[in-house]
Parts: sequence; C-alpha cells; structure tokens
Amino acid sequence: MSLAHGTSRQRKGPGDTAAPTPRPGVGRHGPPTGDEATGNALVRLYHVSKSYLPGAYALRDVNLAIGKGELVFLTGPSGAGKTTLLRLLFAAEKPSEGSIIIGGRNIARLSESAVPTLRRRIGVVFQDFKLLQRRTVEENVGLTLAVRGEPPRQVRSRAFRMLKQVGLQHRRHHAPVALSGGEQQRVAIARALVGEPELLLADEPTGNLDPELTLEIMDLIAAAAARGTTVVVATHDHSLVERYARRVLHLQAGELAEGAP
Amino acid sequence: MTTLWRALYFVRTAADGLRSSPVTSAVAVGTIATTLVVMGVFGLALKQMSGIVDRVGEDLTVSAYLADSVDDAAARDLATRVSTVEGVASVEVVTRDEALRRFEGAAGDRAGLLDGLVENPLPASLEIALAPSERSEAGIARVVGAIEGLPGIEEIGHGQDWVDTYGRVLGGLRAVALALGVVFALAALLIVSNTIRLAVYARRDEVEILALVGASRGFIGTPFVLEGVLQGTAGALLALAVLLAGFEIGTALLGSTLAFLIGHGDPVFFDGAELAAFVVAGAGLGCVGSLSALGSAWRAAA
Repeated sequence: MSLAHGTSRQRKGPGDTAAPTPRPGVGRHGPPTGDEATGNALVRLYHVSKSYLPGAYALRDVNLAIGKGELVFLTGPSGAGKTTLLRLLFAAEKPSEGSIIIGGRNIARLSESAVPTLRRRIGVVFQDFKLLQRRTVEENVGLTLAVRGEPPRQVRSRAFRMLKQVGLQHRRHHAPVALSGGEQQRVAIARALVGEPELLLADEPTGNLDPELTLEIMDLIAAAAARGTTVVVATHDHSLVERYARRVLHLQAGELAEGAP
Repeated sequence: MTTLWRALYFVRTAADGLRSSPVTSAVAVGTIATTLVVMGVFGLALKQMSGIVDRVGEDLTVSAYLADSVDDAAARDLATRVSTVEGVASVEVVTRDEALRRFEGAAGDRAGLLDGLVENPLPASLEIALAPSERSEAGIARVVGAIEGLPGIEEIGHGQDWVDTYGRVLGGLRAVALALGVVFALAALLIVSNTIRLAVYARRDEVEILALVGASRGFIGTPFVLEGVLQGTAGALLALAVLLAGFEIGTALLGSTLAFLIGHGDPVFFDGAELAAFVVAGAGLGCVGSLSALGSAWRAAA
C-alpha cells in the first residue's frame, strides 16, 4: 500500500522555516502506518465513511494519520469531500462508519455535551470568515477565550497580543465590516489561534482573497504549524500547495487518493 | 470568579442583543404586551365577576332559630360562642322584635296581614355569615354540624336552592376561566415563541459561531433566555400601563353602567399580588418562548 506523502518542492513561505518532516500514514485501506504508529499522530482516521443517503458516499473508507505540528493540504475538486472531512474533524457531523481519533479520543462516539470541550482544542477558519458583525474585532478574537470563562481583562489582553501577531492591533475596536477581506481573514485566524489549539482546520481560507493576501494568510497559518499546531488546509489552489511544499491529502469522489494532486 | 464573569457576559450579551436588534425586540415586546392585554382584559372581567359572586355569597347565611326561653343576653353569649366555630365569618343576633321589623319591611304593602296577631310569632335567631371558603354545600354542612345541638338552638335553616345555584355559578365560572386561561396562555406561548424564534433566527450566525469556538448550549442560550425574560417583563409592564389607562378611561366614561353591570360596588383593578403575578407571567412567557425557540434552533442546527 503506498502512502500519500507531501511533495518536497521548494519552500517559499516565511513560516516554513521550522516545518516538521512530512509524515507518512495515509492510505485508503488498512490502518495508518508510519510515525503515527509510534503515537506521534494527533489525528487518526480509521476506515471513515460518511454517507447522507444509502450507498451515496461523501467520504469512503478514509484512513490517515496527521502528526503533531504537521501542516497538510487537503485538495480535490468541488464535491470531493474536503469540507465533509473537516466537518467530521471538528465534530459538526459524525461519521457513518469508522473511528476518528484526536489526541487519543475517538470523537466519532463523542456525546453532544462533550463537543464544546473538543472544539476548544480546535481552531477553525472558513473562506467566509464567519465573524460576528455586531462585535468588535477584539471581541471576535476574544470569543474563543470568553466561552472558557476567562476573566474579561485576560480575554482583552490575550486578544490584543494575538491581534498584534497578525498585525491588526490598531483595528481592534473596529467592526469587522470596516475591514478588508484579508484583514477579516486575519481576524478569523487570530480567533482560531488565540486559544492555542492543538489542531487548526482551514477550509479554503484564501478562497476569497487576491494572490498577495493569500500568501499573507498562508504565512500566518504556516507560522502556527511552525509553533507546533497541527494544521489541515483544504484548498483548490495548486500554487499554494506547490509553494509551501507540504504533504498533500488528495480527495477524489470521497476517497483519499495517493500522492499530490 | 468564572461564574461571575459568565454572569456578566450573559447580561452584557443580552443587553447588546436587545440594543443591536431594536426592531425585532420591539416586535417581541409588542407581541407579548398585546397578548397580555388580551389576557389582562379577560382577567379583569373575571375579577369583576368574582366580585359579584363574592357579594352574592355574602348573602349566603345560616339561620339558627333560638328557643323562646333564650333571652337577649343569652342570645349574645350564644352568638359569641358560634362565632368561634371554624368557617364562621360573623354572627348577628336577630331579636324577635328585629325579626318582625324585617318581616314587615319585606312584606311591604301586605304587612297589614300581621295586624291581627296578638303576639309576635317570630323566633329570635342568629344570622351566621360564612367565610368565603365555606360557601359550599360541604362548608355549610360542617358549620351546621358544629352548632347543631348547642343549648338554646332549636332549628337550623339555610337556603339549599340558593347554595346549589351559587355553587353551580361559581363552579361554572371557574371552569370557564380555567379553560379560557389555558387557551389564552397556549396562544400567547405560541405567538411569543414564534416571535422570539424569528429573533434567534436573525442571529443564527451568532449561534453557529459560538458553537464553533466551543461554547456550550447553556453558554449560547442563556443570553437569549435573558433577553426573552427582559422582553417579557417589558411586555408585561407595557400591557399593565395599557390596561390601567383603559380601566381608568372606561370607569370614567362608563362608571354608572359598569356599576350597574357588576352590581353594587366599584370596578376594581388588579391588587398588588396580582400585579406581581402579571409581571412574573410576562417574564415567564418570554423565558419559555425563548427556550422553545432555542429548542427549535438546536433541532434545525442538528
């Protein structure tokens, strides 16, 4: 069984300097192998399938492992199952079959009341940013901490530091609608990262952005991986995959194909 | 401290929610107020009817006829003793002379029928008024049982037909009140719940995003429930203002007609306890409406 490895193309992003070694452990059949077998994987999927109608699979028998601190790209055409896979990872849906292990816990069997606790360990970024327009930039970033019951002063202070990291501290009192698309996505990334998640999931994070902003956003994401966060980026953008030269998980009609797209 | 921060967060978020969607909030408050005005009008009508029934009930007395051997002083002693019986509101001694005067007064033009009598044939009696809780067949039986056989009491009488009619009217009124109250409350709940559901729907992005960053259902839902409670309270206060204004204008314009309709006595507005219950009902309506709306939102999200 061959495995889907990241390609070793030239690195260009500044966040790539501390990139972990690409991990093996992706296959269509049988349990994952490689480093994850040593317990170094944060995410493991065993024979995961998802169907909404009998016989019609959005995902089919997916097996993979993603190491701690690894950045992987999830590619594939529209409808291939990228978003479904991400939704399974943050427990927005449950798989029809199989196990999803995150940090040693099978989230396929997670009770509804345990989902919030899981999500506090995961940051999620979407193409459409999903920011609350009625709250300020700082409040949006602080939401992640507020739901954990952190004191308001600490929430503000950590949100400010996070905004500083993404270069938006001067915009903290603005409403998201007053920001450009790139700035809004930086806010979304700040919100996803301020709680220091173990896993960052990004669904087409640069889909609405021009090439320059795309690199800016990807550099922030890659920097998170460099600091030890496991990152899964779903994208259509082949140039990004080539530029950042990381392991590629290619989905085709719900099945995990081997190698790069 | 976490609990305190959360409480502060909930209050602030609820206030922000109300501020940020004033039209939706105004619609919710207006709906609750309208619903409560309808319920309040019904409640006030019921209160006036209860007043009539209560006044009718005050005429419900038990007459204990005394032996001729009982003089006025002994009658007063007996009255004092009877007044201690449970369920007795008051006791009036009616002497033989007083009984005759009352008969003459009641007989009117036909009082001349008594002219031929050499001696007053009417006995002295104790007119026993019952406490409101005892104004029923069972209550009367209890009181009669307690005074029956007391020395000096020869016979006990009460209007059985009167008691039956009174009981039927009261029972019917209560059944109608209960049925209409349940119908009104369900209708109010449905309307309020749907109005608040619109408010929750308008902010579904907030529900989705909070869930995404790991907020529990309690954390997401509490500000909405608080908003519902605040809207319900505001709706109740607004409804009370409308009802009070309507009541004052109505009594000013139709005072004599209303007095005639409800019998002797002025129309009355809600008392303190009823006002408090009205506001609590409004808050409860908002709270239950929010919970119901959130329940639908969770089901839709699932």
